[in-house]
Amino acid sequence: MNLNLNQERSIYLQIGEAIENDILRGILQEEERVPSTNELAKLYSINPATAAKGVNLLVDAGILYKKRGIGMFVSQGAKQQIQAKRRDEFYQSYVVRLAAEAKSLSITKQELIEMIEKAL
Amino acid sequence: MTNETLHCTGLCKTYGKQQVLHDIELTLEPGRIYGLIGRNGAGKTTLLSILSGQNPETSGQVQLGQQKVWENQAVLDHICFQREIQTSASAGVSQLKAKEYLRMASIYYPHWDDAYAKRLVQEFGLDIKKRISKLSKGQISMVSIIAALASGADYTFLDEPVAGLDVLAREKFYNLLLELYTETQRTFVISTHIIEEAAGVFEQVIMIDKGKLLLKEDTEQLVSSGMLVSGSAEEVDAVCEGLVVRHVRKVGRSKTAAVFAPQGDSVQAHAEGHDVDLAPMTLQKVFVALCGEE
Repeated sequence: MNLNLNQERSIYLQIGEAIENDILRGILQEEERVPSTNELAKLYSINPATAAKGVNLLVDAGILYKKRGIGMFVSQGAKQQIQAKRRDEFYQSYVVRLAAEAKSLSITKQELIEMIEKAL
Repeated sequence: MTNETLHCTGLCKTYGKQQVLHDIELTLEPGRIYGLIGRNGAGKTTLLSILSGQNPETSGQVQLGQQKVWENQAVLDHICFQREIQTSASAGVSQLKAKEYLRMASIYYPHWDDAYAKRLVQEFGLDIKKRISKLSKGQISMVSIIAALASGADYTFLDEPVAGLDVLAREKFYNLLLELYTETQRTFVISTHIIEEAAGVFEQVIMIDKGKLLLKEDTEQLVSSGMLVSGSAEEVDAVCEGLVVRHVRKVGRSKTAAVFAPQGDSVQAHAEGHDVDLAPMTLQKVFVALCGEE
């Protein structure tokens, strides 16, 4: 887990993302137990209520599920689900902003496409 | 373990002609970690001393559940308030050895956990055979922290516990606090001026300014309700309409304002369609925006 939280974004969102990143990278695998709220609280030096809020976000999204008395586990298909969600976000947070920045720099559509091809 | 709230209503305190607390209404719920922040002289220590029955209120009420706190031993057994230990020669405790100070605390607090206190002494690497007056400022803070954490009191208040601690000791303190909180679900109120590194530990923040309660809010909610809005003055003004605006700075045609949205609203929603930059705030920036001079 990335232990570097920044102060400028809600901590619980960052906790959720850190778990998602570990699932995407295969550090956490499907049907595997994820760290408990208390373990996360200790790891990041944050209030357990905040850690729980981050975990519950993923439970609500169906990425994690709860086994009563045992803990939180990664759901089947969690990786694909996260990828699908991140793709939507990718368009909003990268592509749209890329286009806006290109526009303010007077980069033409053709030039932008060439740049992207070069970078690939 | 008490499940009662510790609360005060209409709490006022005057020292001579000077009123230091104005009509404070505050409820502390069991099983939480609160951060108490305010400027120097805002009344933090006075508030904590009254809530813990160490200082009488001028008017108003302080109760644990239905019982008054003042001179009520049954209630006071559940409350611990550790101030900074005074080291001036006139203060008697500074001549005690740290060991003797902790022994005193063990007698004073009925739910004292001696094994835990010993563990903390080891964790901090504290030489408890030394007199308090011979310890460094950070080491004195450690003595105070150990007394508070080992007190076993359901409501534990720590006044500036990390003052003088180095960064590693501060990290250790917050980790120990979180570990203890997870195990015991006791309530902690911690006042500090080193806001940023403690922000993640506080479930709620209590902010006081000039003796008045400014707010008591969920930390995450408070921080995410505020935004720094910058852009041309007209655009920023348009976004700010209907929002709480603090701390405005103007340079030429550009303007930056710290803006807060009421609950259920967001600064982002107001900025929609306007050519402005939004930057998130940190708890420290929120504090500066709310308590800084206008």
